[in-house]
Amino acid sequence: MSVLLPLSVVVPLVAATLLMAASRAWNRRGYDVFAIAAAGSVLVICIVLLFNSTREPMVYWFGDWSPKDGVALGVSFVAEPIALTLATLAAFLVTASLVYSWHFFDTVGNLFHVLMLVFLGAMIGFCLTGDLFTLFVFFELMSVTAFSLAGYKIEEEGSLQGSLNFAVTNSIGAFLILSGIALLYGRTGALNLAQIGESLAGGPADGLVITAFVFLIAGYFVKAAVVPFHFWLPDTYASAPTPVCVLFAGILSELGLYAIARVYWTMFDGVFGAGLVNLRAVMVGTGAVTAIVGAVMCWPQRHIKRLLAFSTVSHVGMFLVGVGLFSPVALAGTVVYLVTDGLVKGSLFFCAGILLHRLSSVDELGCDGLGRDIPYTGILFLLGGLGLAGLPPFGTFVGKAIIEEEAAHLGYSWVTYLVVAASVLTAAPVLRAGARVFWGYGPGDAYGHHSEAEGDEGEPETSEARDITPPLMWVTAAALLGVSLVAGMIPDLSIRLEPAADFFLDRGAYADLVLRGVTPHEVPLPPGAPLLKGAVIGLITALAAVFAAAMGLWHAKLPASMKGIIAKGLGPPFGRLRALHSGHVGDYVAWLTVGVAVLGGLLAATIG
Amino acid sequence: MSLRGRRNLFALGVLGFSVLFLWGLNGLPAFGHYEGVYGITLNRVAVTQRHATNLVAAVTFDYRGFDTLGEEFILFAAVVGVAILLRAQRDEAATPDEEDEETKDESRDAPHTSDAVRVLGLALIGPTVLFGLYIVAHGHLTPGGGFQGGVVLATAALLVYLTGEYVALRRVSPESVTELAESVGAGGYAAIGFIGLLTGQAFLTNVLPLGMTGQLNSSGTILLINLAVGVGVAGGFSLILAEFLEQTLLVREREHG
Repeated sequence: MSVLLPLSVVVPLVAATLLMAASRAWNRRGYDVFAIAAAGSVLVICIVLLFNSTREPMVYWFGDWSPKDGVALGVSFVAEPIALTLATLAAFLVTASLVYSWHFFDTVGNLFHVLMLVFLGAMIGFCLTGDLFTLFVFFELMSVTAFSLAGYKIEEEGSLQGSLNFAVTNSIGAFLILSGIALLYGRTGALNLAQIGESLAGGPADGLVITAFVFLIAGYFVKAAVVPFHFWLPDTYASAPTPVCVLFAGILSELGLYAIARVYWTMFDGVFGAGLVNLRAVMVGTGAVTAIVGAVMCWPQRHIKRLLAFSTVSHVGMFLVGVGLFSPVALAGTVVYLVTDGLVKGSLFFCAGILLHRLSSVDELGCDGLGRDIPYTGILFLLGGLGLAGLPPFGTFVGKAIIEEEAAHLGYSWVTYLVVAASVLTAAPVLRAGARVFWGYGPGDAYGHHSEAEGDEGEPETSEARDITPPLMWVTAAALLGVSLVAGMIPDLSIRLEPAADFFLDRGAYADLVLRGVTPHEVPLPPGAPLLKGAVIGLITALAAVFAAAMGLWHAKLPASMKGIIAKGLGPPFGRLRALHSGHVGDYVAWLTVGVAVLGGLLAATIG
Repeated sequence: MSLRGRRNLFALGVLGFSVLFLWGLNGLPAFGHYEGVYGITLNRVAVTQRHATNLVAAVTFDYRGFDTLGEEFILFAAVVGVAILLRAQRDEAATPDEEDEETKDESRDAPHTSDAVRVLGLALIGPTVLFGLYIVAHGHLTPGGGFQGGVVLATAALLVYLTGEYVALRRVSPESVTELAESVGAGGYAAIGFIGLLTGQAFLTNVLPLGMTGQLNSSGTILLINLAVGVGVAGGFSLILAEFLEQTLLVREREHG
């Protein structure tokens, strides 16, 4: 069984090299079938590992270098359910994206498939590793593949610009992470997460430890797109190919947050334990700001992919609140929310890709009513919008409900309002765009303002006949939505994850497993909490989103006095916020640097 | 944001960042007082355990061989990325009908190369290849190895370009060959990892005979991995060179009209 652990990473990587070597020998369909088969087998491997790990977590030492006297000589993989849930999600999304791309990019050979497979291997390695430096190597591997995938449509200027902004900001993030690793290595002389944790726990929480922590989380914040490290994300998502967007929004950002939880609970929990309350406040606050900024920026977008990009920022903020509560229950809830939300968002991006295929545009106003011929895609799109809002039984409501309840437990009862507000503000524009594009609701010309991405005629990504939607495109969109729906109907999903979350947060048990091979005690499943309240909140959120979408469509009919208040009250601050998203990479770097300084200042003041 | 605003914001950020960084560096052990348990342990046991006199190679290709596999694939992905981003676009592709052979050849000529460069370059190609192979093959004994030697080998390809022409470069390293070398290098590294699995041990276990310390044929899979990496790096860098040169020539061609 343990042999599956290295295979989960090596299979996609070797498949990529085979595909590269066979470039001249096969045709396009050969690449498709081979890549889908490779990604599909990785998905099966991940599912098998996931079910095994719920029974007993497992450690794998590459090169048989098991630790001697608590000193790790080699590199380890740690198979536990939370890492494997994310790995499974990654494999599922890559497989779905490859199926969806069957009709894409007919002209450019095998390089796209090669990169997708390397990307998959990188994400799984990132999830499973138990080593700080390996975490960095696979972070870099993800980044390098992601830069090229983002800039794939080189015939569009925006695409290269987006890729460049992505590459510059993320490379700075990588430098920060590397500096953090160097500091930690200088102090502890170790690279294994568990070993560093044991070494740090005996020492003080001084400048070195705080700086290393700040550098690490700032680097992962860039990847996750937490405000003010998020500026690259909308530029990149708006111009990346649709199947790539699905991966970026569905799993890549989330992996940044996973890394924060992982490094905190394996390395810093012991040394920062006393300052946890303050750290929680900083994390929850940062998450709240991110959720609000993303949600507010989401509303006025008319470029649908850019709209979905800002909703990703907002949702990352909510995930950060969940991770930043530093409790096992909240972590289990966050994982449920993150997986189900990623699936819904993936489905929405697939629908946007269908629009691009049929109408050569994803501009809400430009496509006004033009989507009438494809009502089924429209239904999927609207269902996706309701899924974002957390309408039961979409799995998203389960995750949100658990985060809200646990936050209230820990004294953050306002998190409920935050989650509801951000959900409404991110779901409503999706519903608005869907109603306008697919059914022609609302007057198109009465739209008052312009968003920064004018409705450009996006370069079509497909070259086949325009008058039909290839079945594989909507089937994958429906499949993602369906899985998210089914996940919400598994009654004790989050409860099943709770023992895993307990283990994830238990630094001692983790170190015992990794360094001494001691299997953790089995934790009994906690009693199930009724989710009735969460379901009601989800229903209310969805209704509010529908109402807000209607406001967006017919706001011209509002009384003049009300419109005046809205324009005066919200216009100027919103204009300033939007001006910050300038598309100038120099601005982004300046904000990134300020973000590191502020984060460092906050943590130095509260923990040091 | 205006240039001034951006500069001020950045200056503010850098100020805070520097203070933080210095505060962090201040916590490092004093110069010459290294106490890292990992490094000390490896220094003590690596040569006897791995029979590799270059300890760095023992760490990168054996103890932490999986990291290096990831790094090899970073290079692989970067090369594929360069090939994607620099691929000829529809409007860039020169259509053969539009220009007759003569002008095309002229525009593809590199700027005039002096005889000194040609002679020196030609003289250097042989030794460079030999030196590259030496560096690759002795990675487990002396500083160097597959990554460093592979770059030296790719330099030989660049010398071909310097002394001859772009066309000559394409002839000695056609894209199909460099692509293959690239894949064989990265895939070969992973394949060596499978030897461990086949003998019932962990992935990337060094199961081959370790030989006599200090001899060329020693240290088991470390030597093999170095060879694979050398092939991959040489192929990858040649491919990157070719892609960039092609792009330059396309731009030059367009400027010449």
